[in-house]
Order: sequence, then structure tokens, then C-alpha cells
Amino acid sequence: MKINHLAVIALRIVLVGAFLLLVLFQVMSLPGQFAHMAAENPERAYLQWPLTIFAILEVACVQVVIVSTWKLLTMVKRDQIFSRRAFVWVDAIMWAIAAGWTMLAVFSAIVILNADDPGVPLLLILMLAAGAAVGLVVVVLRALLRQAADLRLDMEAVI
Amino acid sequence: MPIVVRIDVELARQKMSVGEFADRVGLTPANVAVLKNGRAKAVRFSTLEAMCRVLNCQPGDLLEFVED
Repeated sequence: MKINHLAVIALRIVLVGAFLLLVLFQVMSLPGQFAHMAAENPERAYLQWPLTIFAILEVACVQVVIVSTWKLLTMVKRDQIFSRRAFVWVDAIMWAIAAGWTMLAVFSAIVILNADDPGVPLLLILMLAAGAAVGLVVVVLRALLRQAADLRLDMEAVI
Repeated sequence: MPIVVRIDVELARQKMSVGEFADRVGLTPANVAVLKNGRAKAVRFSTLEAMCRVLNCQPGDLLEFVED
């Protein structure tokens, strides 16, 4: 119980740190990076805003996952995780990963079709595989949570 | 559910109030009401045991099978 408590606190600190870092990326690093790239390669400057919007949306998906994880942690702490209300946040995580993965897949397809060296396509395929694995693990965990929630519901009906 | 919980019969025989019964068995009055009006889905053996002990009866005196 003690170690769980410490793990929850540590995870919360990591989540806040990651969220703030991502906000920094969204408002400063990413727009700056693509503006810089547009200035360096004027013949590809038209890509600046599509890429900026794509990157900001991808980061937003990760932020949804972070916020949902925070909410689920609060439910764990209050022993409310095995209830129907937990599925709101688990579904949010699932859809955020699905949306992020789909955007990355479309982006990868465009890059791979126009690529002239195999490095970047391979990296994108690796990221897509990792993203798919994480998403599918969430789907499996969601099924486990459903089973546990149903069991808890049954046990609560016992007098 | 064709299983009926006959707490009220035993309570009447023992001349015990529902409040006292709940208190001595260690159930909430709400759960006693659930048992009495047949909405209970499951009962622990430990609860059944406590009810039998307090009412000085057998499980068969409390549970009855009635065809729908």
C-alpha cells in the first residue's frame, strides 16, 4: 500500500512535468522549428503551417492521454477505479491514441511516397508499430478493467 | 426470483424488531429491507450464519423456494 502511494505521487509529478514540457513544445519549440525550416528552405516554405498544425495536434493527443491518466489515478486513490465512470477516461485515452496514430499514419504515407532515402520512412514505420502496440495494450487493459468492474458490481450486490 | 427470504416470520416468532435484528446481525437496515422484500441477489454464508444465530433458527427456516 505504501509503495503504491509513492508510485502514484511519483507518477503525478512525472505527468505534470511532461504536460508542462508539451505545452512549451506546442507554443514555442514546434512553431519556431518549422518557421526556421521554412526560412532555411524557401522552396518548401508552404509546408510550414501544415506541419506545425500536425505537430501541435499530435502533442494534443498525448496531452489528452496525460490528463486522462491523472483522472484515472485520482479514481485509483479513491478506490473508484472499478466502476463505469472509469471508462470515460479509458475511452478518452483509447480515442486519443487512435486519433494520433491515424494522423501519423496519413503523414507517414505522404512522406514514404515522396521519400528518396529509407531512413525517415523506417523511423516512421517504427513509430507506427510502437503506437499500434501501445494502443492495443490499452484495448486489452480496458477489457480487463471491464471484467474487474463487473466483478466488483456483483460483489456489491452480496449482502 | 423463486427464493423467498422469510425474515419477517422468524422476527414475529422471536418478537424482535427489524432495527434490533439489523443491529445484532450487523447488517444495515437498508440491506435488511433488501432481504425482506426479495430484491437480494446473493447472501454470504457468514450473514446467513449470523441471522440464524440471532433468530435461533435454521437456514431452511429463513429461505424458501416458491415456484413463480
